Amino acid sequence: MKRIFYVILILIVPQIIVFGYITNIDEEQEKDIKLINYTKKADRLDRKVVDHTKFEELQKDFERPQDVTLACLSCHTERHGEIMANNHWTWDRKEKLHGRGLESVGKTNILNNFCIGVSASEKTCTRCHIGYGWEDQSFDFSKAENIDCLVCHDKSGMYEKAKGAAGYPVEGLNLNVISQSVGSPGRTNCGVCHFWGGGGNNVKHGDLDKAMIDCSREVDVHMTTEGEDMSCVECHVTENHNITGKLYALSSENKNRVTCEQCHTDEPHQDKILNDHGYRIACQTCHIPEYAKANSTKMIWDWSTAGRLDEDGHSTHENDADGNHNYLSIKGTFVYDDHVVPEYFWFNGLADHMLITDTIKSFPIQMNSLSGSYDDKNANIESTGSSKIWPVKVHRGKQPYDVGNMTLVQPKLWSPVKGDSAYWVDFDWNESIIAGMGYLGLPYSGEYDFAETEMYWPLNHQVSPADKSLQCIDCHTSSPKGRLANLNDFYLPGRDRFALIDNIGIILLVLTLAGVVIHGGIRIVLGRNNH
Amino acid sequence: MKVYIYKIFERFWHWMQAFLILFLAVTGFEIHGYYELFGYREAVLFHDNAAWAFLVLIVFAIFWHFTTGEWKQYIPTTKMIKEQAQYYITGIFKGAEHPTNKLVYNKFNPLQRMIYLGLKILVIPVMVLSGFAYMYLNYPNMAFELASLDTVAAIHTMGAFFLIIFVIAHIYLTTTGHKPASSMKAMITGWEEMDEKEAKELIVSSLEHNLIKTKEQLISKEDSSKFLDDALEATEKKMGISKDHKFRDVIANSGAGYFKINAKGNFEEVNNAWLKLYKYKNAADVVGKHYSLSRSKEALKELEDSFAKVMNGDTIEHGLVMRKCQDGSVGYHTITMTPCTKDGIIKGVEGFILDVDAKNAAAMQWDK
Repeated sequence: MKRIFYVILILIVPQIIVFGYITNIDEEQEKDIKLINYTKKADRLDRKVVDHTKFEELQKDFERPQDVTLACLSCHTERHGEIMANNHWTWDRKEKLHGRGLESVGKTNILNNFCIGVSASEKTCTRCHIGYGWEDQSFDFSKAENIDCLVCHDKSGMYEKAKGAAGYPVEGLNLNVISQSVGSPGRTNCGVCHFWGGGGNNVKHGDLDKAMIDCSREVDVHMTTEGEDMSCVECHVTENHNITGKLYALSSENKNRVTCEQCHTDEPHQDKILNDHGYRIACQTCHIPEYAKANSTKMIWDWSTAGRLDEDGHSTHENDADGNHNYLSIKGTFVYDDHVVPEYFWFNGLADHMLITDTIKSFPIQMNSLSGSYDDKNANIESTGSSKIWPVKVHRGKQPYDVGNMTLVQPKLWSPVKGDSAYWVDFDWNESIIAGMGYLGLPYSGEYDFAETEMYWPLNHQVSPADKSLQCIDCHTSSPKGRLANLNDFYLPGRDRFALIDNIGIILLVLTLAGVVIHGGIRIVLGRNNH
Repeated sequence: MKVYIYKIFERFWHWMQAFLILFLAVTGFEIHGYYELFGYREAVLFHDNAAWAFLVLIVFAIFWHFTTGEWKQYIPTTKMIKEQAQYYITGIFKGAEHPTNKLVYNKFNPLQRMIYLGLKILVIPVMVLSGFAYMYLNYPNMAFELASLDTVAAIHTMGAFFLIIFVIAHIYLTTTGHKPASSMKAMITGWEEMDEKEAKELIVSSLEHNLIKTKEQLISKEDSSKFLDDALEATEKKMGISKDHKFRDVIANSGAGYFKINAKGNFEEVNNAWLKLYKYKNAADVVGKHYSLSRSKEALKELEDSFAKVMNGDTIEHGLVMRKCQDGSVGYHTITMTPCTKDGIIKGVEGFILDVDAKNAAAMQWDK
């Protein structure tokens, strides 16, 4: 009887424990998401407190778009001050580059490896500026009437900026209807620039796509129209036109960021082990398992092949199977991809940038570099917390640089007319670099070549549903396909082993087994003979 | 013949520990990345919780070891270690006898003592410490964070291999008992099958041990032999043991030698068993001679000390001693020495010696 009792104790009890834990895991997943500072869609009040159609100021004839701005400011009398301090207006901000002093970083002067830079081509680039008339360096940033309120606040869907028109809208808009429709910016307002940056939809970020205007849960669990239907400003909380959030393509300090934790807290899981992972792993790493989920994003841009014209001397283009450009005479060769698996890097919120005045020391040129490492923790912390592993889109390129001075260069790309040294019209690199560098007052040796470049875009959007997030085994594996196979500055359980220990251990194990077999075998054979 | 040797808690502890070690190994090597079985997350959960279960078991086991005195089973000895190793290397193939026997308070052979002690004080503590460091010192929110996991991971992996190898060898060596399955059965039921001779020695050692324990519970200036004799007789009567097979006869038959020495240190009386053990033919060869003839030069000092103590009124319950026989060979025995009094004055020393097999001599070490 006692024997049976102990057999039961030894065999059954552990199974009960194991069963208990398994069922416990299932319960955890059914619990509700913990949120702070967020009103769920079902609880939101959609109450209009102001009806702009009733304002006489907006019913008069507007000759110029600036007149609309003045009408806005006649009521919102101090808002222009807020706007003119915002980098959507200045395209410039003073930030410390990691490991260096204060620098001016912004669209005015930071180069990237897409369209390289805005200088000398402002008139086309400033289509995405929230102002009117930025054609060149003479633009007056202090003139309030040049603010374009409508590009962000139009709710009619009719407002549109013109190509190559320095930020002015297209002709023939009904500015009365548009101005009377204004409201809080929606995703189409933000998206017109942030989806289309780099000259096409989803080209730059990879996680900001026009598809997110109306997408499934699979593409973006926050913005999906099937679910919470969140607009950009729900997360990018804005007060007094200070829009939170920014990306390290153009900034370098760990401030004014939008975080998952601001709603989800820093203990969003029921499982302590997962919450602890949050100390060293960004939420995005597991919850954005892939990006460019609806449309392709540009992965490679090679400027060195640009300039190939057809027999008639006209620019040409080629498309890939998905309809994305493979080649454009004005821009060179591209590679697009969709459902892209991110690359992973340590990141602590600090970044550096390759300024146009910096000397190139190595290739590929790092257009921006994210700071961080495994050891960036405890006493070694450089930023406000330990470095975390982040998912990053790495955009690789090939662009002109000054071989003599070993610097990046700013070519003049755009012009409405031929013979103005603009590359996109005249297809002469040397001329366009001379014009661009001359415009900035920077030296150019006269000799250029094409250099490989890399640019890092930490991912934040297109969060997947929980059941699509990464699982333990995606990283904790020795497979070369493991997500962290290339992030080798630390010991990761399941991925890393000490070959010496394992080999010796296995050899000893095999020897022990062999010893048992031989020793036992001899005993059996001799035992049989003795009998 | 079957003898009850493993108690209930001991068996529960053993099998729970066996289960936990295997479960920790299976989940641990999954975490190490060798295979996929439960799924990584589940493996980690199970491993962590099994670790806590193991810790609870360890606490109970430590308590048990100290309250029962079982910890003494693990005091290491070098005696017979060579013989034991020799047995596994060659003897076992020739059908030789086990060089050491299982006794109640000496369940383990010298190799077992060494290995189990190593497990208890080295491998398991190292595994527990490295494991909990691995589990709880890995993130910045902890009171102390390891610079890197690699060191604890390396140590923990080494320990895991060691334990697996131990388990394999351990399971194999259970087949070297009386019959291949008798050790395994013993660990399940508590009853171990052994041959008659071994069983008898085990029972004798058990009685002896209990007598010693009983004596330890007595503090008396008087000669306690009479008192114990009476108590023994009463026990025998109570248990219905017949006169012909007296309880103490068991000890007498095992070869207890009697001796009496006067205050000058000369033998006054020895019995036949004593003579046999010392390989003398006649009592006349011994009586009237100094006790120093019974020891080698090196061992004499110990006896002189004991003799002086007993002459001062102490009773000595000696552990293992080595005797010098007439022909110069050596043997082992345990010895009791009590004062021999007349009218309240100590006139000499008397006592018994109990022979110990050479192969049990090592086993008796714990009592020293």
